[in-house]
Amino acid sequence: MLARVAKYRWQYMMIAPAVILLFLFSYMPMAGIQVAFKDFHIGYTIWNSPWVGLENFSFLQDDQFWVVVKNTLWIAILKFVFGFPAPIALALMINELRHSGFKRFVQSVSYLPHFFSWIVVAYILQSMLTLDGGLVNNFIKDLGGEPIFFLGSTEWFRPMVVASGLWKEVGWNTILYLAAITTIDPQQYEAARVEGAGRWAQMRHITFPGILPTVSIVLILSMPGLIAVGMDQIYPLMNPANQPVADVLDTYVLRNGLQQGYFGVATAIGLLSSVISLLLVLITNQTARKINGEGLW
Amino acid sequence: MKRSASENFGQILIVLLLALLCVSVLYPFIYMLAISLNVGSDAAKGGVYLWPRHFTWDNFNVVLGNAVIRHAFGITVIRTLVGTASGLLITLLAAFGLSYRSLPLRGTLLGYVLITMLFNGGLIPFYIQLHQLHLLNSFWVYIVPTAFSAWNMFVMMKFIIGIPEALIESAELDGASPLRILWSVIVPLSKPMLAAIGLFTGVMHWNDWFAGAFYVSDQNLIPVQTFLQQLLSAQDLASVLGSNNNVEALVRGTVLTNITLMSIKMATVMVSAIPILCVYPFLQRYFVKGVLIGSVKG
Repeated sequence: MLARVAKYRWQYMMIAPAVILLFLFSYMPMAGIQVAFKDFHIGYTIWNSPWVGLENFSFLQDDQFWVVVKNTLWIAILKFVFGFPAPIALALMINELRHSGFKRFVQSVSYLPHFFSWIVVAYILQSMLTLDGGLVNNFIKDLGGEPIFFLGSTEWFRPMVVASGLWKEVGWNTILYLAAITTIDPQQYEAARVEGAGRWAQMRHITFPGILPTVSIVLILSMPGLIAVGMDQIYPLMNPANQPVADVLDTYVLRNGLQQGYFGVATAIGLLSSVISLLLVLITNQTARKINGEGLW
Repeated sequence: MKRSASENFGQILIVLLLALLCVSVLYPFIYMLAISLNVGSDAAKGGVYLWPRHFTWDNFNVVLGNAVIRHAFGITVIRTLVGTASGLLITLLAAFGLSYRSLPLRGTLLGYVLITMLFNGGLIPFYIQLHQLHLLNSFWVYIVPTAFSAWNMFVMMKFIIGIPEALIESAELDGASPLRILWSVIVPLSKPMLAAIGLFTGVMHWNDWFAGAFYVSDQNLIPVQTFLQQLLSAQDLASVLGSNNNVEALVRGTVLTNITLMSIKMATVMVSAIPILCVYPFLQRYFVKGVLIGSVKG
């Protein structure tokens, strides 16, 4: 055994940096979850701070916490309802395009927003929607209407998050579906044409069933991220005016933990949301196994 | 082939819808560019939609002449270069080492990596660990924690395993060490994959604002995306421009009356977005490949 290990000493040396980095930045934080049950302050370590039992979980009795849960679920559900089917529809539409130059152009353009940060997205929203000089409000004023304070409105916040999320990622998310479409056997289409099936019938009976396995994999893979509704996206758009609907679990953890120093409470909330995410993965995998006959594992 | 009228109608409808999508993606950039090239006070009156009405470089001059903004760009460029290079190196080394199927303890090591993809400690324990390692408020907080990516490692490993073993064996017979094989056999054959992963890593570094906002408090260490995040909610120009002599000189001139907070914001965003817009067309063929290598089940 030792001789075999010695034979592979180069390989172990190559793997070592990764093993150390994972230990420091993945496994140590996992050990740090114990802070959820401790009274931690900067200056202590995660090991020597005193245990406090479930005291940090008192946020469960805080009304504000349940508002945050409600906000998170709202955004998660809306994002899922619009964000999951949209790339499938877009991929099917792109696949129907006859002009291959235009097809490539649409693909290139629709992937583009994926490469910009959520900060740039926030600026685009600001330039379009702000009260003083925003494009949309200028337009409304030109038409003689009353300008709308989109960026600080509780009604417009959710549509704004869902729409900007779609804008940024819908094109990118078509890549897997478009790849799945190219693996469909062309003979199926030929046979369908011989039997007189039109484009619409071919899409419904060949293309769509052809990408269904990909759809189910994407569905499962999207589950763990479902309630991680995107701090990157939401934090830049949040302000005191829209906070009643904009505050989600991630921003709540951030505020309690990093900004106010309640490390134990914030870790406890984080732990709770990881547990929910894990449950969502397990449930979806079970369901997928029942429907498809196979899950991810 | 003859097409029915309804099919032609469907085609037209799809073309129109997708053209609308393209406009919705491209238009905001055209609009922001027009505003940033227009005299600010004039743009504030409205009516600038597609191109500048009252053309000026003033906004870009102020942005590019400002020491705070220039410094933030410097940080972004350095962290993107260092972060991409170190990320590719460390991840590739591990992927190559783990691609040896006969490696003792290989399964255990793969499990060790896989677990980190399924569970994590969450934000606060991660932050506490950064504190313990004295990485907070240091440039290295941008580089070290993200230098290894489990996801990229699996993509790379799958790619390397796909390389014909005969090539590696013949190099071994020539007496090449594993490092030598990695450099002269694996790397040349993995260029498209390395380009794709390098691109994703680089974009991640270029676009990250979070680390700069929460792990760093020294203004001299923030990258441009964090600067933009702070600027997003800025209420007046002073907070943006700081007390920089160069800018003060500019501002004291005629420029002061002409630039607005909005025109400066738009110019700064465009400066951060233009490099991505420029490299995008050249890198496009790599990233689609990259996504597909990474997505095959199993």
